[in-house]
Amino acid sequence: MISAVGLSKQYGKTKAVDDLSFEVRTGVITGFLGPNGSGKSTTMRMIMGLDRPTAGKAFVNGKKCQELKWPLREVGALLEAKSIHPGRSARSHLVALAQTNSIPKARVEEVLDLVGLSQVASRKAGKFSLGMNQRLGIASALLGDPGVLLFDEPINGLDPEGIRWVRELLQALAKEGRTVFISSHLMSEMALTATDLVVIGRGKLIADTTVENFIDSNTVATVLVRSSDSSRLNEVLAGLGGSITAQDDGSLLVTKIDGTQIGDAALSSGIAIHELSPQQASLEEVFMELTSDSVDFHGTTDAKAAS
Amino acid sequence: MTVTHTQMPSTDHGHAGLAGETRSEWTKFRSVRSTWICLFIILLAGIGLSVLLTFIQAARWSQSSLQERATFDPVAFSQSGHFISQLVVGILGAMIITSEYSTGLIRTTLATVPKRYTVMAAKKIVIAVVILVIGEVTAFASFFAAQIILTAHGGTELPAGASIVTQVKSASIPVVTIMSPGVLQAVVLSGVYLVLLSILALGLGFIIRSTAGAISIYVGILLVLPIILNFFPSGFKNSVEPYMPSNLGIAMVVTTTRTTDWAGVLLTPWVAVLVLAIYAAVFLLAGLWFLQRRDA
Repeated sequence: MISAVGLSKQYGKTKAVDDLSFEVRTGVITGFLGPNGSGKSTTMRMIMGLDRPTAGKAFVNGKKCQELKWPLREVGALLEAKSIHPGRSARSHLVALAQTNSIPKARVEEVLDLVGLSQVASRKAGKFSLGMNQRLGIASALLGDPGVLLFDEPINGLDPEGIRWVRELLQALAKEGRTVFISSHLMSEMALTATDLVVIGRGKLIADTTVENFIDSNTVATVLVRSSDSSRLNEVLAGLGGSITAQDDGSLLVTKIDGTQIGDAALSSGIAIHELSPQQASLEEVFMELTSDSVDFHGTTDAKAAS
Repeated sequence: MTVTHTQMPSTDHGHAGLAGETRSEWTKFRSVRSTWICLFIILLAGIGLSVLLTFIQAARWSQSSLQERATFDPVAFSQSGHFISQLVVGILGAMIITSEYSTGLIRTTLATVPKRYTVMAAKKIVIAVVILVIGEVTAFASFFAAQIILTAHGGTELPAGASIVTQVKSASIPVVTIMSPGVLQAVVLSGVYLVLLSILALGLGFIIRSTAGAISIYVGILLVLPIILNFFPSGFKNSVEPYMPSNLGIAMVVTTTRTTDWAGVLLTPWVAVLVLAIYAAVFLLAGLWFLQRRDA
C-alpha cells in the first residue's frame, strides 16, 4: 500500500506538488494521471524517499521509505529508464542491485528472462534501445519481488507489442495482490489498464476515484439524434427541457433528457428517428476538460508567439 | 503470468546494509571498462615514468650539478610515477560517484539501502582497498625497477649515516635497498598517499556531483594551488607550502635528502599522512552532509 499525506514540494516559488493526499490500494492497478509537468515524477521520487518533501509525508506499507529494512524487497520502482550506466551490462547492473538486498543470482536470470532481455544481458546497456532500457528498468523494479511497485511512464518508448506486454504484466502483478501505481499522461492507456485513478494538475489533487466513477461523474450524458425534421424536433425537445446543439450535418446533440424521452416525443410528433445514439465521452476528453486550467505548458500555433 | 519462482531469502531478520552494498559497489566498479583503463594507467604510467626518469637521471649523473646531486633521493625518485598516478586515482575516486549522478543511476542506488551513508561507506571501502593494492604494487615495482637501473649504471650504496657532502662528491649515483633506514616506510607510504587522494576525490565527487567539475577542482587543488601560492609573499608561502597535498605526497616518500633542500618545505612522513587524512575526511564529511540533505 502507498499513501501520501499532505505531500508538498516547493522549488523556489513554484509549488511542484501541493498538499497531495491519497491512498493506493493493493490488488488493482492505480493510474497516476496528469499533464506533463504536473508533479507526477516529483511525487514518485518523494514516495521513494529520494526527494525530501517540503511538507507532508509519504508511506510505503505504512512506513517511510527510509525505514524499510530491505527496500528492494518491499518496493520496486521504475523512475527513469535511463538510470543505468551505459558502459555496464544489463546482467552486471542487476547483479549489483541484487547484492544490496541479498537477492539470489538466480533471480537476476529470472527477471532477465521475464522481460525478454536474456539474449542481450551481456551487452552494454548504453547500446540498448529506449524500449530495451525500459524493460531493464522494469526488471530492476521486479528484482526484489516487492509487494509495492511504482512505474513512471512505463510504456514510454515501447512498441505496440511491448505496450501490450507491459499491460498484461501489470495486470498479472496486481492480480497477485501487489500494489501497482503507474503514472502516465496518456488517458487512453489508463482507461485500458487502470482500475483506480489519482488525477493531479499543477501539483494539486483533482480526483482520487475509480476510472468508472471518474468518467461517470465528469461527463454529461449526451444523445445524438438524426431525424426526418431536425428543426421541428429541436422545438419539441426544447419544450421538454432538453438542451440542444444543432450540428452542421443536420443532427442534434441533446443533453438533459435521455433517449427514451426523445424517442417518445418524436413518435408523438410524427417525426421519424433515423439515429438515436448515446455518446460516450472518452477518458481523454474528460481529462482534457478537467486539467485544461492546470496545464503549465500550453502549445501555441501562433506564429508570432513562436518567433 | 507468474512473476516469481526463485526462492527468496527471508526478510524477517537484519536489513540491507554495508556488506551487501559493498559487494554491489565492487560489482559496479569492476563491470565498467573505464575502471580497468584507469588501473592500467596507474600501473603502467606509474612504473613506466619512474623507470624512465630514473634512467635519465642515472645516465647523466656525471654531468649533474651539485644542486641536482644534493637533492637526488633514490627512493623519492623511484616514485616519480606519482606525477600521473595521483591524477588518475583522483579521476577514479570522483568518477565512481559522479558517473552515478550523470546517468541517474544514483536514484536506483539510494533506493536500495535504508541509510544513504551506507552508499558512501561502501564506495569508500571499495576505492580504498583497490587503490591500496594497485598503489602498493606500483610503489614496490617502481622502487625495485629504479634500484636495478641505478645499480646497472654503477650506482653504489652510501654507508649508513653518510652526509650529503659524501653524496655530492660521490662519483657514482646512490642506490638504496629496501632494508635501508626509512626506505620500506617510504615505499609503503607512496601507496598510502594515493589511497588518501582517492578518498579525497570521492568526497569531492559527492559534493560536486558532476564529473568534469569534480575532476577540475581536484586537479586545481593538486597542481594549480601550489602555482598560485608562488605569487604570495614568501612568509605566507613558506608557512603554507608544506601543507599542499602534492608536497604532503613528497614528504611521505623522501628518505635520504630530508635534511637538505626540502628541509622546511616538508613535514615529517607521518604528520603528512595525518594532514592528508584530515583533508580527505573533511571532503568526505562535506560530501556526506550534501548527500543526506540534497534531493537525489
